[in-house]
Amino acid sequence: MSKAIELEQLRKVFRVRERTHGVLGSLRGLVAPRTREVVAVDGVSFAIAAGERVAFVGPNGAGKSTTLKVLAGILRPTSGHVRVAGLEPGRDRGRLGYRIGAVFGQRSQLWMHLPAADTFDLLARIYELAPGEYRARRDELVRAFEIAEICEKPVRQLSLGERMRCELVASLLHRPEILFLDEPTIGLDVVAKATIRDLVRERGRRDGCTVLLTSHDTGDMERVCERVLVIHRGRLLLDRPVDALRKSFIPRKRISVVSEEVELALDLPGVRRLPSAPHRTELEVDLRAVGVDRVVTQIFARARVLDLSVEDPPMEEIVTAIYAGASADAAT
Amino acid sequence: MTAARVAIVTGKYLAFARAAARRALAERTVLIGRSVFLGVILFAFSRIWHVIGASSALPGAGERELVWYLAVSEWSVLSVPPLFLAIEAEVRSGDVACRLVRPVGYVGSQISEAVGEAALRLAVLGPSAALFAWALSGGFPADPRGLWFALPLGLVATLIAILFMAAIGLSAFWIIDTSPFFWIWQKLTFVLGGLLFPLELYPDWLQRIAHATPFPLMCWAPARMALGFAPRQALGSALQGLLWVGILIGLLVVMSRRARARLTVSGG
Amino acid sequence: MALRPTLRFARALVATNLRASLALRGAFWLQAAFMVANNLAFFTTWWLLFARFHDIGGWQLRDMMTVFGVVASGFGGSVVFGGGARRLSRMISDGGLDPLLVQPKPVLLHAVGSASTASGWGDMTTGVGMLYLAGRLDFETLPFVLLAAATSATVFVAVAVLFQSLAFWLGDVEQLSRQLWEFTLTFALYPRPLFSGGISFLLYTLVPAGFAGFLPVEVVRQPSLLLCLAALAAALGWWLLALGVFALGLRRYESGNHFSARG
Repeated sequence: MSKAIELEQLRKVFRVRERTHGVLGSLRGLVAPRTREVVAVDGVSFAIAAGERVAFVGPNGAGKSTTLKVLAGILRPTSGHVRVAGLEPGRDRGRLGYRIGAVFGQRSQLWMHLPAADTFDLLARIYELAPGEYRARRDELVRAFEIAEICEKPVRQLSLGERMRCELVASLLHRPEILFLDEPTIGLDVVAKATIRDLVRERGRRDGCTVLLTSHDTGDMERVCERVLVIHRGRLLLDRPVDALRKSFIPRKRISVVSEEVELALDLPGVRRLPSAPHRTELEVDLRAVGVDRVVTQIFARARVLDLSVEDPPMEEIVTAIYAGASADAAT
Repeated sequence: MTAARVAIVTGKYLAFARAAARRALAERTVLIGRSVFLGVILFAFSRIWHVIGASSALPGAGERELVWYLAVSEWSVLSVPPLFLAIEAEVRSGDVACRLVRPVGYVGSQISEAVGEAALRLAVLGPSAALFAWALSGGFPADPRGLWFALPLGLVATLIAILFMAAIGLSAFWIIDTSPFFWIWQKLTFVLGGLLFPLELYPDWLQRIAHATPFPLMCWAPARMALGFAPRQALGSALQGLLWVGILIGLLVVMSRRARARLTVSGG
Repeated sequence: MALRPTLRFARALVATNLRASLALRGAFWLQAAFMVANNLAFFTTWWLLFARFHDIGGWQLRDMMTVFGVVASGFGGSVVFGGGARRLSRMISDGGLDPLLVQPKPVLLHAVGSASTASGWGDMTTGVGMLYLAGRLDFETLPFVLLAAATSATVFVAVAVLFQSLAFWLGDVEQLSRQLWEFTLTFALYPRPLFSGGISFLLYTLVPAGFAGFLPVEVVRQPSLLLCLAALAAALGWWLLALGVFALGLRRYESGNHFSARG
């Protein structure tokens, strides 16, 4: 299979100017700025085959976005070898532009005061699409993303989820071979997150498009991707199929219950009580010992439940688990 | 109201003014920006008067006096904080409903804050205006005694401007966007107030119109004092200024009473 | 880069930009109308001065109207068609350039053409009105007027880009660059004979009112081939300078060492 993305020993070092105080300090800063080096990406290597959907996860500040920006040609690597769609992003940004699409969760490419459809028309010019081909593609995407009415309203009136659907359509119009998504579900509610995840997965499959998404939400990688790269402090910690990761590193769920009873006691194996408050019980469930369904059934049998939620443990905890696991891997 | 009560209320308003003055002092870029702007505009006009050879412009007032005139009028105009924006924002966001029930008059507290801020700006911009005027015109006006009158008249000028701005801000209860009102008011102040040069240089008919309005009180009245020593004129302007302060306070009382009625009707 | 697709993109960008600015119809008309009123109030000052003194350094009211006509048209054009130049510093410091960088079209053109200021229409209206009143819109002068306004607009955009690009090195410099830019406009609106010596040096460099105002105004006041060439050279020169500085800054941006880059 051909490689969509190849990365060898990528290093990216930022020189950050030290903040100086006072007028004199900032004057001195202008003449001879005091700088300090920050290693954002420290020797990361991986390859992604065409058509793969890969999640790039890690806690905030791990180096995900930096790597993504290097791949998209926005940042130049300090050292290392990078190839995207057979091109060198830093040097061939112009040509690469036609072949990749990108959505930056917090930076809109849509014109706020206009309907998204108008941005689509402009993008047709930017990517030099033939009118007939453009219309067919747009109509197909508008149907698939169910934005026929949404894309006729001014963008500023849309909800975050609706806007994100329009952003995705905007980045897919030119049939990119590779789609970069930087925190595509950030700030969305549960339903909107689920919708976006389904759409991205389906679209990737249908177009045969390579997807690389960054996220610090484990849900994004579980629902969208086949493979996951975990990055922490600028280093690649782990490269696994999502299934394998789930089994070995996300074996736990968090359940929190609000009940009329002051306290709630369960007697199932693999259920651990975390520090709780009166009427609010926090549980950690080891999925290798017991299924979530059995735990929930017992909770409902024993208590009058006012509220209940099931969540994945936060990313930071998974990274800690992976750290422990990775050193165990290395030992064997 | 007893004397003690008056002292307590006054103390509250003074506290607002002091806090606002401290805040204004912290916003150094604004102060520096306004000083630089003042210097630039003084420079440009000092060139105009120089090229015109304005010695013949007014009896007793030449290039130097005209530069000082502009320095004084810009000094008082640039010291006024954009109070209407603050009031409009609170009216629109609905925060005003909470503030109206505080034990201090809402409008009164806003005005105290603006006065505190203006006082600080007057104190900072005053020396820089004087310095620029002195450097650009090459000295003091022929009769510098008049400048002493400019100080209290400048205070009255900023107070009138602040009261106008409060009224513009409160109009947000009835109209959506108050900035058009502000622009019109500001341009009238510039033109009819005689911001850039004395009203004496205007055609007679326009002078008469201008003097029939309160606008000259915000620029011309203090700035005029740079042109010569005129105690009677100063006294006249001061009395007229205080009269307008009274009228505007009356207007504000009526407006805030109506606004409160509107709030209770629509439930905030 | 192929020229024709780029031109087609530029045309579509301008159309989209104007449509976006017209989308808020009420605000659009209000801003434009108020700018006309604002300009007229400002001009009243000059009218009063000339009514009293008739002559300032050899200039009459008609010359002042020409200054106002050319500069207001040019400035208005610059904020209507290149309104994005004023937001460049913020785009640089908050990552707003990123979406443009991954698209295969010139980044600066895209950024500059991505916003339009409605009040600029008011400026252009005032400008054309003043030129009409000054009797500068007759058939023979018209080409010179167009060249002058285009030069002024180009210099205004270029200068905005130049000042705002400082953000690549200094972080968010919006206040400072806006101030410098507004001084450029302020001085461009004064009669040229007021300034001489060291100050006029400043006015052709740090605060290039000379190129945004004085020079194009002369093209209309005393049209000559030489002045036309000078205006063209000025527009081109400032634009190239802006382009160069922006490109240099962009390189710094790519290295990630600009002020606010964070992984």
